[in-house]
Amino acid sequence: MAAQDVSATGTDLQGDARKRNVGQPNGSYVPKEAGDKMDEKTKQKTNSFLATLDDYEFLIAPLIFTALAFFTRMWKIGLSPIVTWDEAHFGKFGSHYLKREFYFDVHPPLGKMLVGLSGYLAGYNGSFEFKSGETYPEELNYTYMRLFNSAFGALCIPLAYFTAKELHFKRPTVWLVTCMVLFENSYTTISRFILLDSMLLFFTVSTVFCWSKFHNWRHDPFSPEWGLWLVMTGFSIGCVCSVKWVGFFVTALVGLYTIEDLWNKFGDLKMPKVELAAHVGFRAFGFIVIPLIVYTASFWVHFMILENSGPGDAQMSSLFQANLRGTEVGKDSPLEIALGSRATLKNMGYGGGLLHSHVQTYPEGSQQQQITCYHHKDANNDWFFYPNRHQPEFDAEAPLQFIGNGDTIRLIHAQTGRNLHSHQVAAPVSKADHEVSCYGNTTVGDTKDHWQVEVVSDAASNDYSKVRTLTTAFRLKHVDLNCYLRAGNVNLPQWGFKQIETTCVKENKPRDPYTHWNVESHWNERLPASDPGSYKSPFFRDFVHLNVAMMTSNNALVPDPDKQDDLASKPWQWPLLHVGLRMCGWDDHIVKYFLLGNPAVYWGTTFSLVFFVGMLAWYAIRWQRGYDELTWGQVDHFHYSGIYPVMGWALHYLPFVAMARVTYVHHYYPALYFAILCSGFILDWYTRSLHKGVQWGIFSVFYAVVIGLFWLFRAICFGMEGSNQQWKHLKWFDTWRIAD
Amino acid sequence: MSAPSPQNSVRQRGGKENKKRGTTPQPSDSSLMNGNASEKVESIKQGAKKAVTNEWEYKVALAVITVLAFLTRFWGISHPNQVVFDEVHFGKFASYYLQRTYFFDVHPPFGKLLFAFAGWLVGYDGAFLFENIGDSYITNKVPYVAYRSMPALMGSLTVCTTYWIMWESGYSLPACIVAASLVLFDNAHIGQTRLILLDATLVLFMATSILCYIRFYKLRHDPFSRKWWKWLLLTGISMSCVISTKYVGAFTFFSIGVPVMIDLWELLDVDRKRGALSLPEFGKHLAARVIGLIVVPFLMYLFWFQVHFAILNRSGPGDDFMSPEFQETLADNIMTQQAVGIDYFDSIAMRHKETKVYLHSHPDRYPLRYDDGRISSQGQQVTGYPHNDTNNLWQIVPSVAMEGYDHPVKNGDVVRFRHLVTDTWLLTHDVASPYYPTNQEFTAVPTEEANGDRFNDTCFEIQIAGGKPDQQFKTMSSHFKLIHFPTRVAMWTHTTPLPDWAYKQAEINGNKNLQQSSNIWYVEEIPGLAEDSPRLQKEEKKVKNMPFMKKYLELQRAMFYHNNALTSSHPYASFPIQWPFLLRGVSFWTENDTRQQIYFLGNPVGWWFASSILAVFAGILGADQLSLRRGVDALDQRTRSRLYDSTGFFFLLWAAHYIPFFIMGRQLFLHHYLPAHLASALVAGAIVEFIFNIEPSDISNLAITDGKTGSRQQQQKRGRPTRERIAGQSLLATWAAAGVIVAVLVWGFWFFAPLTYGKPGLSVEQVLARKWLNYDLHFAK
Repeated sequence: MAAQDVSATGTDLQGDARKRNVGQPNGSYVPKEAGDKMDEKTKQKTNSFLATLDDYEFLIAPLIFTALAFFTRMWKIGLSPIVTWDEAHFGKFGSHYLKREFYFDVHPPLGKMLVGLSGYLAGYNGSFEFKSGETYPEELNYTYMRLFNSAFGALCIPLAYFTAKELHFKRPTVWLVTCMVLFENSYTTISRFILLDSMLLFFTVSTVFCWSKFHNWRHDPFSPEWGLWLVMTGFSIGCVCSVKWVGFFVTALVGLYTIEDLWNKFGDLKMPKVELAAHVGFRAFGFIVIPLIVYTASFWVHFMILENSGPGDAQMSSLFQANLRGTEVGKDSPLEIALGSRATLKNMGYGGGLLHSHVQTYPEGSQQQQITCYHHKDANNDWFFYPNRHQPEFDAEAPLQFIGNGDTIRLIHAQTGRNLHSHQVAAPVSKADHEVSCYGNTTVGDTKDHWQVEVVSDAASNDYSKVRTLTTAFRLKHVDLNCYLRAGNVNLPQWGFKQIETTCVKENKPRDPYTHWNVESHWNERLPASDPGSYKSPFFRDFVHLNVAMMTSNNALVPDPDKQDDLASKPWQWPLLHVGLRMCGWDDHIVKYFLLGNPAVYWGTTFSLVFFVGMLAWYAIRWQRGYDELTWGQVDHFHYSGIYPVMGWALHYLPFVAMARVTYVHHYYPALYFAILCSGFILDWYTRSLHKGVQWGIFSVFYAVVIGLFWLFRAICFGMEGSNQQWKHLKWFDTWRIAD
Repeated sequence: MSAPSPQNSVRQRGGKENKKRGTTPQPSDSSLMNGNASEKVESIKQGAKKAVTNEWEYKVALAVITVLAFLTRFWGISHPNQVVFDEVHFGKFASYYLQRTYFFDVHPPFGKLLFAFAGWLVGYDGAFLFENIGDSYITNKVPYVAYRSMPALMGSLTVCTTYWIMWESGYSLPACIVAASLVLFDNAHIGQTRLILLDATLVLFMATSILCYIRFYKLRHDPFSRKWWKWLLLTGISMSCVISTKYVGAFTFFSIGVPVMIDLWELLDVDRKRGALSLPEFGKHLAARVIGLIVVPFLMYLFWFQVHFAILNRSGPGDDFMSPEFQETLADNIMTQQAVGIDYFDSIAMRHKETKVYLHSHPDRYPLRYDDGRISSQGQQVTGYPHNDTNNLWQIVPSVAMEGYDHPVKNGDVVRFRHLVTDTWLLTHDVASPYYPTNQEFTAVPTEEANGDRFNDTCFEIQIAGGKPDQQFKTMSSHFKLIHFPTRVAMWTHTTPLPDWAYKQAEINGNKNLQQSSNIWYVEEIPGLAEDSPRLQKEEKKVKNMPFMKKYLELQRAMFYHNNALTSSHPYASFPIQWPFLLRGVSFWTENDTRQQIYFLGNPVGWWFASSILAVFAGILGADQLSLRRGVDALDQRTRSRLYDSTGFFFLLWAAHYIPFFIMGRQLFLHHYLPAHLASALVAGAIVEFIFNIEPSDISNLAITDGKTGSRQQQQKRGRPTRERIAGQSLLATWAAAGVIVAVLVWGFWFFAPLTYGKPGLSVEQVLARKWLNYDLHFAK
């Protein structure tokens, strides 16, 4: 590996790039280069101390950069003793792992489990609530937790250094790219708190690094190193996707690379078919199977740790909840439902909630009381099973009458005493369905309150003559209208408190899980208590269920046009560094942090992206006009070290433009890394043939600007104490709200 | 040949070998040089003879198709004599044009102007406003047949254009007939183009854009000639008409833009077949296309807006969407008519812009304790009340002492409000409002308190939306926010009524979010003003002028904003994925007595056929790419270039007019698929020819493609237009296939015709028989 590094940073890179050729297996090429290198080395060794430094640059430079990285990420990290910005979320989720309580969040669990791990190592017991802006208690070693987190941010720097080398940039460029990552104010700031972003960045950077390693081993396929980097890339992908779903974008980059690679191999008629199949098979294993294993494993651990009931229970299926420790669900509930039973009804679709009603009415349609599906547990979710209107009035003393498949019943809302009702009025959002409302009372009403129980399946028994708590899945068919009660993950507008719309659908689709319901909690004094929760729900079902629920909640994070969120920003603002973000309150006594990038890095990289498009057009048009000016080696370098980073940028940036959800400045950080690589590529491209002195002259200006601006803006990363007016000079634009 | 020439689309990154293929001399030259002159002459003779007869056949077919198109589109056009579906909108807009009252719509004006033109031609005055589906045209004396003839005419021409596109692209007669029949006998195209709707215009001009572009492309060897310019400009104008009807036209621009870009790219090629172009020459090509396909269409697009503004010079229902400056350009505008400057000590009634409630107060007090246990100040209630009432009157008082009277209120002034009837003063304070714990309660306090220690709490700042500093505060025209001076909350109200203790009136509270657009209020009147007050007598205000571009930009912005806001659900809205499979239609109109209904639905046979052909085409391309990659060349150059360039272009049209709908958040209907369906019909025609017309000679020649002589012979065969090439062979298979397809299409059309034409009424069994995919038809029981 050392030899590899030496050759990659060797002074004679120009020739190196030119000599590279596609299709020509150059397993022999690396040693040869290394051999040349050795000759040079012996020549230079005689010279001086500088030459020695030069030789050991591959060791010294990354060490210095890493030391600086740890310093910038960790210096004065415990200065602010208050819960800053999203620490309120992620610190809290970490606490849940320590308390082992089940919670729900839109992000996959790996990052938060690492936060939990840091808390565990810090000896924290999970009792703090992490309320935004609150001071950390004595016993909570928040400095340790932040240090743990910032290590991920700091480790990005050596990875960036080696990635730049793997992309065959020359030494000054490698240093510049590393500096741009190291002296990036926004990277520095975001890495210093208990957030997921430092981990996301780290795994994104490591994925790119592993990918570039893998790419450079392409001429020696099936060698152990090739296999190692294949597996490492897959592992990295798995990790990045398990931290945030943003990781899918870097996965897409590797995916596109693989498709192109395989397409080329597919066209190589000389390659034996077995070898081709082996290529496909290895990649499928490395880039699909391994990431899936990592991703699934993170959820498996997640479920294993969180074995107690907690705030996120309601997002999961009833059977899952019943298996949590300390839950109410399924504990001491009578097994079979009888007339007069009080129960909560759970929708069995992925992310389904509990059938709910409240006194608020529909603003349109029938204007009767609203029916929704809601995840929060309260008394408004309780329903009574009552006989239908053709049967004699319910008598609490009469012999028990169990409910089974085909029975027609009424459901009465416990809090308001109204009947679950449907009629020929269009539902408020899904206009094609019938509206479901709550109407009348035990005496007032009609046959439109009648619902027929149709049992779909029962995990415990094949006997459908009784509805059982938790295990029986049934549909509720409206007798008069011939429609089915359904709650299909459509959120109501603000008047319905964004709860899930519940309707009656005309289509009879027995397999639609959103029309399936089960009894979750059940109370009936006349029935003996039992333990219906002894059935386990299978892991993969829970896994899929949780992922669908995450996706649904993620989609619901849309900006409210009436609410102007000061913190949110639009994607077009990010590359231009149009706005920053206040991470905490702006009072004088608070240590203030402002999330803003290094202007040189942001504007420079954005300019380089535009410039790159121009370059691409220039060379394409020149080629079309018959100028054959690039060697194949150069084209190859352009392709893998230029186009792929730019594609990475586009993949990490453009989806946010199309996305409807609320976006913040830190969503740009993974994309910024690719933009930095792109700017490095361009500088490298135009300076690699220059005289060494000139090269260093040009680059020292860039180093100075990047480091200088970082220094100028250092206060926003390391914490601003006292009046914000001290930093008035940094408020270059009105939108940079560093000072009031 | 319709689209860019072959070598480009198959060119790989390596480029070299392909280039060689591309530079092969024109076949005719080569055969002459090689001494095959006699054979060549013979073939030309034959070809010419065939061509004449063929063209004749083509013309007859065109005539038949045209007649059938007019018959299917115009038959029973007067039925139903009621407003159907979206005629509610577009009929109404035509009436607004005829009455010249300003209205607002999310679509550009061209399509609607055409309807207005039709109405104007028959001398209609636009008195009927198409309020409800089912309103009678007869009793309201609307010339609806004239209106409907317009889209029916365009719908009929669409069929001819489809046929013509195939003809110009050089497909065989049966292929042309199949493509045209797919549109001709399509119930969706017929249904949508017989009513007062914009889609007929849209689809027709989309088709003519394709046709004009193909004509233009065929003239590529004669650039800058008069005809070349003519078809270039016609392409641009057609596309402009599409985008001036609906913004779906952007997809047409994209799908024509792609081949234009490829074409330009090829013109840049130094190894170009017909010799390299110098850069200035290339610049000329580029400039011509920019002018013809971008500048001219955009100017035309703007022109329709100019017409729109010129016609709509009177105030109307669209005023509210526009800024006050814009509204002042309209005659009889309420704002310009009624705006009166407000002076201090005037009594005014303030009205909330969104909910239209007046700021109101009455002696009742807030209950001490609300239902949820929170506690109020128990102060006098301040509510929103929708009706006129003396309790709505508030006297506007300065917060600082002023000498004398007649001081006008200005933007940014800090003022106080005295409730006249109860002699109390408006204030808000840090007490939670009845419904919103986060918002401040509004109440009114007696004078001694208001002038005492609560003085500060009674101060409010007037912020006129979009106003300049010191601009005068006027009734009607000044939309303002009332910001509480000490606590910076805005007076706000919403639609949830308060409980009975406030007589179900609206809650007024202080909203911390000052930016919210629903904070806007306006002053409706100054009731105390004597009728002969000099302040009411103003010189007749002149209608102001506003530069066209400013007006246009404002309207354009509002259109985009409201187009994105069309997200509410409709019972018959559908998802794009359902369209090619025709899973669901739209119920347009029903009549219970006669059991008649119009259910907008395509001809299922045709849609499924066209959609499956799209899949076949994608399969053919995929298989060809894969086999080429593995060195197996199963197609001859000519066939491949047709498949990629001509049929590929149609496929691109389909994809460009279909796929973008997937990422659109707005309400979508089946009729949005019509342009894409037309493109799929073109693909279907082409693929029918491809499948049923595999040349036996090609198969026999496959084996010897490597041999030099063999390939040359093949080159000759390929060199001739398809029409000649296939003339010698039996088209029997193609004709047979076309015959079967058309027969089935006609049957499907006939079967679903009662739902398209709205007559005759169907019995239960007949309706049930037509519920193929459980279509939600009416009168099924």
